[in-house]
Amino acid sequence: MTHDGSDPAIEARGVRKVFETFERAPGLLGIVKNFVAREKVEITALDDVDLVVHPGETVGLIGANGAGKTTLVKVLTGIVPASSGVARLLGEDSFHLRDAEKRRLALVMGQKSQLWWDLPPIDSFQLLREIYSIDPADFDARLEQYTEMLDVKDRLKIQLRQLSLGQRMKMEIIGAFLHDPDVVFLDEPTIGLDLVSRETIRQFLVHLAETRGVTFVLTSHDLEDIEETCRRIVVLDAGRVAFDGDLATLSRQVTGKRAVEIHVDPHTQVDEARVATEIAPLGAEISGRTAGALTVVVDAERLAELVPVLFATLDVRDVSVERQPLEHLVKEIYRRSDRAGAGLRPARGRRQT
Amino acid sequence: MSAGAARYPRLLLQSVGYEFRKRIQFRTGFFVREAINGTVEPLIMLFVFGALYASASAGTDGAPAVLGGWRYEEIIKYCAGLMVVRKLVFNNRGLELASEIFEGRITKYLVMPFRFFVLLQGRFVQYLVMQVLVAGLVWALGYAIAGDRWLVPVSFSAAAQAFTLVLLGSYCCFLLFFTINALAFWLDVVWSLLVMAWFVISFAGGGTIPVSQMPEPLFRVLSYGFPYWTITAPIELMMGRLGTEAFQRGLLLLLVQLGLLEALRRAVWRRGLAKYVGAGM
Repeated sequence: MTHDGSDPAIEARGVRKVFETFERAPGLLGIVKNFVAREKVEITALDDVDLVVHPGETVGLIGANGAGKTTLVKVLTGIVPASSGVARLLGEDSFHLRDAEKRRLALVMGQKSQLWWDLPPIDSFQLLREIYSIDPADFDARLEQYTEMLDVKDRLKIQLRQLSLGQRMKMEIIGAFLHDPDVVFLDEPTIGLDLVSRETIRQFLVHLAETRGVTFVLTSHDLEDIEETCRRIVVLDAGRVAFDGDLATLSRQVTGKRAVEIHVDPHTQVDEARVATEIAPLGAEISGRTAGALTVVVDAERLAELVPVLFATLDVRDVSVERQPLEHLVKEIYRRSDRAGAGLRPARGRRQT
Repeated sequence: MSAGAARYPRLLLQSVGYEFRKRIQFRTGFFVREAINGTVEPLIMLFVFGALYASASAGTDGAPAVLGGWRYEEIIKYCAGLMVVRKLVFNNRGLELASEIFEGRITKYLVMPFRFFVLLQGRFVQYLVMQVLVAGLVWALGYAIAGDRWLVPVSFSAAAQAFTLVLLGSYCCFLLFFTINALAFWLDVVWSLLVMAWFVISFAGGGTIPVSQMPEPLFRVLSYGFPYWTITAPIELMMGRLGTEAFQRGLLLLLVQLGLLEALRRAVWRRGLAKYVGAGM
């Protein structure tokens, strides 16, 4: 990936965001104590985050709950100010964006409706046309094209609250793209959607990224969203950037893992130490254990070797193989990052894409 | 005229239309909120005053009692005026800003290239337009039922002056409620504050008894506040109890307070945004 040396579309330098809140002690005494003197606590949501995104890049922002993904999106879009550091969008301080920059920006929030709940989407779109001063001909053409692509043309005049979750999200995405933005932040856009809707939305985003060169920052818990729509991936953990590189590198190093769940007789004793010893030469390890199941993580290419070993060692009743869950993935990134230092962490902020 | 300034009226008009659609989509809700609301209190006042005046007249050998400079016939006209005027005074109903802040629903507006306040002004204009129609209907219905006992403005000029004061005062109320709602950036007791504020505005404006009927020292103090010039004074203008000189004084006081409230609104909003956490996203 290369960029043409243009100014960054998005830039974060040493961004730190601290929220202040009050800790509330439990119980009756706690209520009295809280009433008299509350204890203020600071929560660091982002800690020294560096991120540079150039025009046309598609960036997947992942991390476990509370990792700071959404806070980073809020800071970069100017919804909340950074406590320290520099956050810029299209060359301007994110928290003081002018209308000119806002016209080039869009935000889709999977858990918050952008459109007006009480009105049919078409009414909301008309209001957005006025807010963004969209040329009527462009507005009509885009509306026609996007509703066609997302298959919601016949739902435009139905009250938003009466649409299904998938249809609502498609309308949200259409609303975000009507003004032809250059930079789009999508925060969990496919949360709670069925497979078909997710796939349709992904295809729509890929199409716009390829044809319009839109810069995307997509946060999602669904790795498939990221894999299918983003070429670069940023992993956040506890408010810090744990990984920033292209998806191919991450796939090779981390997502090449598979989680093998082996179901055994819950009444039979499993010698975990023996299993661990038997699978160790394959680079596999036990990552979880319940009464009737054992989870083993292994590199995808050694899966075929692992399965016979497991059958030879255990009284296997059933086996399921899955891609490594996101939480394991993040942990794995950290474990490797600690072990290999910068080996898994490409130089942040100086990437060539 | 800059592009932004040219866009403002179109955007305001669009948001007024949007608010209209929101308000009238539920017929029962519309009838309860917009038509019936504000008509009960003046009726209760009428009965309470009726009892008071009857009691006072008993000791005057049949001569009509005068309480605080008001005869009962005038109080009836005042209550009629109150029923109409209060419909035009903006209350917090329909503003919903505090819950939008609490629930993080304003987030979407913060990334859009416009002043969010325009949408709320749209709510105000929508409220006013709708309430002017409702107030007109209430007045006509009252006149049809009560005839000359109902409040009929002494002149077109008096009615126009009263209407001007009510509109400006209503906008003052809007600015005050906006500011209190914006405290939701810091506080979670905004609803209580709003109820208290509405009660104070109602009392200080003459929603319980005419301000000019209150004890002289209290009247003097309240006659500087915008609530008085929003409720009692316009009704008295229409009744002919106040004249053009009072209108001019009221206009000046309302404009000054409108400016102060606008400055306060801007300051609170700006500081509040810096505190915003974008909840629920």
